[in-house]
Amino acid sequence: MANVDPGKQMQDVARSAAEVASRAGAQQAAVQAGRVRTVQVEWRDGRLDRMKEATTRGLQIELFVDGRYSQVGTSDLRPDAVRAFVESAVAMARKLQPDPFRSLPDPKLYQGQATVDLDLVDPTQGALTAAGRRERAQAAEAGARGVKGGGAILSVSTGFSDVLSEVFRVHTDGFEGTRRGTTFTVSAEVSVKDPDGRRPEDWDFAFARHLSTVPPADVVGRVAAERAVARIGSRKGESAAMTLIVDARAASRLVSTLVGPLSGMALQQKQSCLEGRAGQAVGSVLLDVADDPLVPRGLDSRLFDSEGLAARRFPIFEKGVLRNYYVDTYYGRKLKQDPTTRGASNLAWTLGSKGRDGLLADAKEAVFVTGFLGGNSNGTTGDFSLGIQGYRIRGGQVAEPVGEMNVSGNLLTLWKGLAAVGNDPYPYSKLRTPTLVFEGVQVAGV
Amino acid sequence: MKKRGMGRRRFIQLSGAGLVAAGAADLIGCATAKPKPDGATSGIRYFDRFGVTETLLAQVLGEAMSRGADSADVFFQHRVQSSLGLQDGAVNRSTAQVSLGVGVRAVKGDQQGYGFTEDLSLPAILECARTAAAIADGPARPGPQRFHVAGSLPDRYPVKIGWQEVRAEQTMPILSGLEARALASDTRVRKVNISFGDEYGAVLVADSSGRIVEDLQPMTRLYLQCTAEQDGRRETGGYNVAARSGLEYYDAERLGRIVREAVARTTILFDAVPAPAGEMPVVLAAGSSGILLHEAIGHGMEADFNRKNVSIFSDKIGKPVAHPFVNIVDDATLSNARGAINVDDEGNPAGVTHLVENGILSTYLHDSVSARHYGVKPTGNGRRESYQFAPIPRMRATYMLPGPHSKEEIVASVKRGVFCSNFTNGQVNIGAGDFTFYVKNGWLIEDGKLTRPVKDVNVIGNGPKVLEKIDMVANDLVIDEGGWTCGKDGQGVPVSQGIPTVRVSSITVGGQGKA
Repeated sequence: MANVDPGKQMQDVARSAAEVASRAGAQQAAVQAGRVRTVQVEWRDGRLDRMKEATTRGLQIELFVDGRYSQVGTSDLRPDAVRAFVESAVAMARKLQPDPFRSLPDPKLYQGQATVDLDLVDPTQGALTAAGRRERAQAAEAGARGVKGGGAILSVSTGFSDVLSEVFRVHTDGFEGTRRGTTFTVSAEVSVKDPDGRRPEDWDFAFARHLSTVPPADVVGRVAAERAVARIGSRKGESAAMTLIVDARAASRLVSTLVGPLSGMALQQKQSCLEGRAGQAVGSVLLDVADDPLVPRGLDSRLFDSEGLAARRFPIFEKGVLRNYYVDTYYGRKLKQDPTTRGASNLAWTLGSKGRDGLLADAKEAVFVTGFLGGNSNGTTGDFSLGIQGYRIRGGQVAEPVGEMNVSGNLLTLWKGLAAVGNDPYPYSKLRTPTLVFEGVQVAGV
Repeated sequence: MKKRGMGRRRFIQLSGAGLVAAGAADLIGCATAKPKPDGATSGIRYFDRFGVTETLLAQVLGEAMSRGADSADVFFQHRVQSSLGLQDGAVNRSTAQVSLGVGVRAVKGDQQGYGFTEDLSLPAILECARTAAAIADGPARPGPQRFHVAGSLPDRYPVKIGWQEVRAEQTMPILSGLEARALASDTRVRKVNISFGDEYGAVLVADSSGRIVEDLQPMTRLYLQCTAEQDGRRETGGYNVAARSGLEYYDAERLGRIVREAVARTTILFDAVPAPAGEMPVVLAAGSSGILLHEAIGHGMEADFNRKNVSIFSDKIGKPVAHPFVNIVDDATLSNARGAINVDDEGNPAGVTHLVENGILSTYLHDSVSARHYGVKPTGNGRRESYQFAPIPRMRATYMLPGPHSKEEIVASVKRGVFCSNFTNGQVNIGAGDFTFYVKNGWLIEDGKLTRPVKDVNVIGNGPKVLEKIDMVANDLVIDEGGWTCGKDGQGVPVSQGIPTVRVSSITVGGQGKA
């Protein structure tokens, strides 16, 4: 085993599963074999708390059998087990009702992969040692303990993890592709004592493809602790319609409610408040966002998507106008539309000129949201209601912390009220949201 | 890609309509049974087919203890999950997922090392054991010298027709029938999506004390979602059931209820008025409103958070936290419930744990690590999503016992407020205590009567404050039959919840209308 190239092993597993599927009677199949190596260290209050290390592997297969469709997977890669599994899966698929819209993608769409080097693998990962991982987790705690007001800290949990994932994909129509990537994560979670008995917590993390671009661990710890300490004394504010400023980190939660209704399935199943709005303004002119899978070192960068289509950048919103949906081959056929791609990759925002502080100063009176808590949105109608915590902004200054509050409204109204966009895209989410400012949002509290 | 920050969330949600998941009974998940190798296999009834013997367990646990851990355990899992999906009038998609793997844990004090693999060969498992063992750094301690197979476990999920015997020919007509009835029951229903899932399989836990436990764990779930149209408007709603049961679970009464509830919960959305915004009395309907308990107190009572001193309940054991008629339990024993377990994922017996007794905060939810820390017996709450994770304290079926009031008097007591009927998800910050739950359907209460429907509104409160404000509890306890999954530290586990009708005297409703 030790001398076998694991990448080659995954290729062999995938190709042989595709052959078994064909022999068993599948007219088409798409097979993906993956292997993920994870090392994770958690550190708590001055000592090692948990460590975990594993290599997981598995096989996922889409089967197209006599006009029928099934998707199966297994972690049992013993050759005999794979053969029996795939054969029984093909037999099972034959029992389903037919679906004329299912097949592998149009092979023309595999063509034209970008030639850019996405640079997703950090070759220095192999040099990381157990001590090096532990030192980073330790440094994150030290950063947290050192903040002003750190005497209120009850507990600090930090972590460092690194992951190498390798995926090999093969289709029976000849498509083959490999995806490899590393990620490195530093995290910190800090709990503090509020004199009133509560123990507010906050966290921070940084997450990158290359170890050299992860910020120093002590910075992550410091940010988590500063955020937690600043929660002390939070109270519920008044109910009102007012300006809402959402920090770059929290904004991804809000943007995810806008991405859901863009999916081909939501459109075709009549569950999208954005259906039929292509070419129309659904937000203010500041809503200007593209999907960009080709960003070097991007968190969700790829040369081909999850069904093998060559990845490309395309606009989602231009000056508030909806330009494209996320449509895969299957729902594209049902909708009689050309596919774009199955789901969001990295978002690229047209940025404003000011950072968070400038936007807070401009707003004068507002609620500044630093975190959402629960809540949900109705993709069919666009109604949403989300718990929030953050700060009141008074006279352009950060005033008292507020919590146990809520915002609600409708997506279509909310995004038309987008009044400013920051210059500070959040680097640790693939949605890369900047600080966002909305006018006239209903906030509920006292 | 999973975001670390989000992985730390503590939340609960209903299994969605996601049609990507599981395999059919038509799949022979365990595949090739190996001839029994050497070594005693006495008492290993399920995993012997994968070559698991007492000799292998002893070697693995010995390796896990080789650097001086206090204890170690090994967790084998085989799970076959299958699903069928109906969309646009046909049962035209299926999924199957076979999970076979093993995790090894070594524990030193409250420090833990963990490794897992899908390769069940002895060298691969020993490698995991060495990884786990490295949490300690001292002289080896002995592994188990002798094993004892735990006697008969309780039988909390009796199954008449097990999923390993069920064929798609039996389940497909159920889905088609449900769709036909949903479309026929209301002309406004335009689209029906149904997701049906089942799973079978087993776990084996062996530990350094020599205990071996095996448990067979069935599960099924069904979600019917409708999209309806009226006057150019559209709404989506649905109904969801889940249990540790076999095919017999889908009897005529339940199938009728699924259609009735899914259609009613969708079409009433057209009549909804905006929910009010601000603090007001809220009445929680019996059943899925147990989500309040899950978020307001359940997570905060998980002993790992208290051991780490980060829960808002960390200093409240033995203190009054609610009116004396409030009793809250976390119960592993409810027959066939989604949250029921015969034994926890550390091999510990699981029974009924009292969180609140007569208004007094009583017992945390323990795994073996926290139990050792507090010097108490484990409560059987050590659970894990799969062999890929070490166990942590988790809820099972969390509910409030009946109280002295009636639903009618509770509703009649509210001049202006909101009645919450059903929910999709909730979340909590366990230190600050703030929690939310999302109300999909509810009613305005005006002058003691349910008047107009409301929808899509989040309710937000603070755990201890809200517990104090539960000032009426009815005698109509209902355990919800929905397919709830609880998330914590990136691990999802099946849970149940329930509650009688209760009144919360004041809580913030996140609507848009006038309070």
